[in-house]
Amino acid sequence: MRDLLFPILAATAPAPAMTWLGDTVREQESAFQKRPFYYAFSGVSRHFDKRGLIEVSEERSQALDAKVAGFSLEGWDQFRLARVLLLLTLGKQEKTVFLETIAALLDTADLREAAAVYSAFPLLPHQEEFVEASVDGLRSNIVGIFDSIALGNPFPAAHFTAEAWNQMVLKAIFINRPLYRIVGIEERRNPDLSAAVSSLAHERWAAGRTLTPEAWRNCTSPVSDRILTDLEHLLDEGTAADREAAALVIAREEPDRVRHLHEQLEAELDAIAGGSLTWDHLGERLESPIT
Amino acid sequence: MRFFDSHVHMVSRTTDDYQRMAAAGVTAIVEPSFWQGQPRTEAGTFKDYFNSLIGFERFRASQFGIQHYCTIGLNPKEANNEKLAEAVMELMPLYICKEGVVGIGEIGFDDQTKAEEKYLRRQALLALEADLPIQIHTPHRDKRAGTIRTMDVLEDVGVDPAKVIIDHNNEETVRAVLDRGYWAAFTIYPHTKLGNQRMVEVMMEYGAERIVVDSAADWGISDPLAVPKTAALMKDRGITLEQIEQVTYHNPLAAYGQSGQVSEEDWEGSAGIDPTALFEGNSLLRGGMDVESAMSQYLIE
Ligand SMILES: [Zn+2]
Repeated sequence: MRDLLFPILAATAPAPAMTWLGDTVREQESAFQKRPFYYAFSGVSRHFDKRGLIEVSEERSQALDAKVAGFSLEGWDQFRLARVLLLLTLGKQEKTVFLETIAALLDTADLREAAAVYSAFPLLPHQEEFVEASVDGLRSNIVGIFDSIALGNPFPAAHFTAEAWNQMVLKAIFINRPLYRIVGIEERRNPDLSAAVSSLAHERWAAGRTLTPEAWRNCTSPVSDRILTDLEHLLDEGTAADREAAALVIAREEPDRVRHLHEQLEAELDAIAGGSLTWDHLGERLESPIT
Repeated sequence: MRFFDSHVHMVSRTTDDYQRMAAAGVTAIVEPSFWQGQPRTEAGTFKDYFNSLIGFERFRASQFGIQHYCTIGLNPKEANNEKLAEAVMELMPLYICKEGVVGIGEIGFDDQTKAEEKYLRRQALLALEADLPIQIHTPHRDKRAGTIRTMDVLEDVGVDPAKVIIDHNNEETVRAVLDRGYWAAFTIYPHTKLGNQRMVEVMMEYGAERIVVDSAADWGISDPLAVPKTAALMKDRGITLEQIEQVTYHNPLAAYGQSGQVSEEDWEGSAGIDPTALFEGNSLLRGGMDVESAMSQYLIE
């Protein structure tokens, strides 16, 4: 992993910073010491560009995905990637030292440091030990921290109970995060979550408000009668994106049961069959409506 | 025109204060770690306090367009609780190299005890180790002797005076501090410390070089607008705009900028205020009547 991540960081980071990081990683690997490690972890801010964003080529991004499926550096800054590289070093330490150090870092982290630790979890050993910390991190009111766990991070899908998963997805809907960037959003659909989405929709509609069309992606097939009614409501009162979402749900259903909706959604269903409308496309469009 | 208030305890202030400060041109602030009025009994509360300085308080300030930095330290009052002090010293390495930590502070003397000296020394060493500036709190009682003793200790440890900002100066301490090569900060704090008329007189005598003006606003009766108000008074008394900017902006920025953790780029594009707002009845200040009336009483006694 390190061999993949180093050149990605080097592509945008200042050369002296990369030299410092390389030296630090080597020193820490040959003789790990807590205090210098703390200095290095927070001291990343002294070497890298705090406004510098990470850019990943298509080729490298595929290589990353092949190593850890779903793991994405989208939206990362140099600080985060440099810190993740330091954390990989830590992964080579003895288990108690490793866990103690992670706990101390998280306990005293600023926003960007916390995001780095959560982002590193899917790359570290002893992952089962970090479930509680991740669930706790999702309680943050700070979007950057929530995102570091929920988006482009395969950790929740791999380790969360259904209950924790559902909480995360519902909060993501609440605070308007792009669901298509949640790794495993498709695979971890479940009937409880579908029902919760429906209840949330009813609350919103009662208050004269709306729900992101992406929320319906969580529906399991076959949908309940209640959700079928919800979809009809979307067709009557929703936006164009709501209709697309309804079509995406219906496309997964047994045709006979939803035939009465087919004619209202002909164009959308054609787009789905032709591959030009998918949940991911819809999510991307909703996230950045200008492009 | 922008102001850099390098000493203000925002954890004790409300969002109204943030709004007024932003409207009056305060663009960047340093929040020193200090005593909280009530002695702490556990190291864990220090950890949470430090966490709020680098976390939530920074986030809160950013919502008002103010850049928030901090200094991390064990204050002299609580240095006298040695068990606690040791635990805090263990915590500090986790914080001092973080983004936006511009120094070790406020440290120094309060009662001038042996324990206070011990932790002043150790924290000065830590500042050397992390190559950070030091923010010094000088005692209220026996201030002159305490200030001299502080400088003696720092020089004994090997600290470069150019990396030290000595705060809460008055007419009795300023000469020695400047002569020995330190930055001399003045806290404009109603009733107990220094009023801003006296500050104007200090500037008339010493000029602007290595002089810094701050508010030290905290949980007591204090004034988070002390820096812009003092600038207004200086303007009124004929001190040049250049000198005003030096003591309320450029000097603190240069002193704490030695940490490498703060630079003007951090607030690039922020508007600041029109300097004429400082002496034309303040009607040019953004933020409406509330700020205008707060700023119109710019004398602090
Ligand atoms: Zn203070």
